[in-house]
Amino acid sequence: MAHAVISCLHANLAALEAVLADIDQQGIDTITCLGDLVGYGPQPNEVVNLVRERQIPTCQGCWDEDIIEGLNACDCSYPSQLAERRGQLAHQWTADQLSEENRAFLASLPMSLWRDRQLFVHGSPNSQHEYLLPDMDAFAALERVESAGAETLFCGHTHRPYVRELRDGSIRVRVRQTPGEPAGVAEAEDRELRLPLRRIINAGSVGEPRHGNTHATYVIHHEDTNAVEIREVPYDVERTCRAIVDAGLPPIFAWRLRHGFEYAERADDASHVCER
Amino acid sequence: MARWALISGLRGDLEAYEAIQTDLRHTRRVDTLFVLGDVIGPERECNALLERLQQPRRGDLQPHCLYGWWEEQLLAERGYRGGRRADALRLSQGEAAVDALLQAVDPAHMNWLAALQFGFIELDCALLHGSSAAVDDSLGPDSSPLLLLDRLTRMDVNRLFTARSGQQFRLELSGGGIESQVRDLEGQRQHQQSVPQRQVIGIGAGVHYTIYDPGSDRLDFFIAGTKPKQRARGFA
Repeated sequence: MAHAVISCLHANLAALEAVLADIDQQGIDTITCLGDLVGYGPQPNEVVNLVRERQIPTCQGCWDEDIIEGLNACDCSYPSQLAERRGQLAHQWTADQLSEENRAFLASLPMSLWRDRQLFVHGSPNSQHEYLLPDMDAFAALERVESAGAETLFCGHTHRPYVRELRDGSIRVRVRQTPGEPAGVAEAEDRELRLPLRRIINAGSVGEPRHGNTHATYVIHHEDTNAVEIREVPYDVERTCRAIVDAGLPPIFAWRLRHGFEYAERADDASHVCER
Repeated sequence: MARWALISGLRGDLEAYEAIQTDLRHTRRVDTLFVLGDVIGPERECNALLERLQQPRRGDLQPHCLYGWWEEQLLAERGYRGGRRADALRLSQGEAAVDALLQAVDPAHMNWLAALQFGFIELDCALLHGSSAAVDDSLGPDSSPLLLLDRLTRMDVNRLFTARSGQQFRLELSGGGIESQVRDLEGQRQHQQSVPQRQVIGIGAGVHYTIYDPGSDRLDFFIAGTKPKQRARGFA
């Protein structure tokens, strides 16, 4: 059975419609969404409505959380004050636009979803704000999957789709500890931990791609073969860009959609966990 | 180079603190004292120890203190942690323990406790009560090496000194590796990563304390008040 995973929709209706059409065209009817339905983009209600209509199981993203609980992300989210100001403006605009019903829907979203030993989260099992970038420390990446008790971790948040396999791992340790009473030099004990094969699958971003191309991205997981397909879907970028400008949102949000990358809101420290 | 003494878990025990200070003064050639939290606890009145830490006597090593799990519970219960209260303590030991903790510390000490830091970074070492993940992160010799490596990686340090478990141990990551394969829209790449040579050190609690020499990487575990020839269990 094939299963589609989408993430980071960011109130971009044209992109979501195109991705859902692509999924439908392939006859896939199991979809999971990893959150960030709103933020940056001009159609928060329309996007939330569509996710609700399609009854897509969804976990809560960092933007969804902040809209409900108030903007309280620490400055790790922004590399500059200018970027932070733009983020705050988008937050306020989105909060003003969102209907009570859709706000309640975002508040009801779980932090994570499970399917057998597949775990679905927005950022990482630790935090919706943590970035699991494709080149982060391999042991730290494995720890995120293993500590959660998952075999495969589906995440988003980075806006860059990837499939990472962590295998043939081991850690050797030498432990020296003291007995209860003083008794000379402590004995050393050597141990080895064999690490299991684990996978991290990042679904990329439907509504705000940052992989160097304007196409929306998502992934398809073929459960029978365990193969993962990273899909790129062209959509009407100009339609969304016009709506961003018409809504009075910062024009830089339209600029980066036209380029498919941006540096303004990317936090580079993959190991950082927001301590709000 | 300066030698460090690392202590924790005094939980109001001024006698234990004095025994350690006496040890350090007479025999240990230590010039920096780190107190990694849990200076308070519900078992006894803690004010005398708190006063001594804030106003060392002549000859005492000046203590550099962090907050630990017990301080975190008290600070939460006294309203220093926003809406949170001492829920972890309440859940694990009941309302009576919360009351005992409130009784054990004079409110006059709260500002000093609230100003304590979460951790210190000295040279390539992190000094914490638990770990960078949380103050209640109890790391011990039987903790998963993957988890220990993660805690070291988060801080990007070579030595992590931790106190939460109360145990004295030295765990060296001595070898191993992992293969990582990433596939994205640009293609596929493989990377082999080795386990870095890093260590997690449990410093003990109460009269069980640790001396570390960052210059030689020598580590010794001691019990305050015992005879010198029996005390040391050192390894470099």
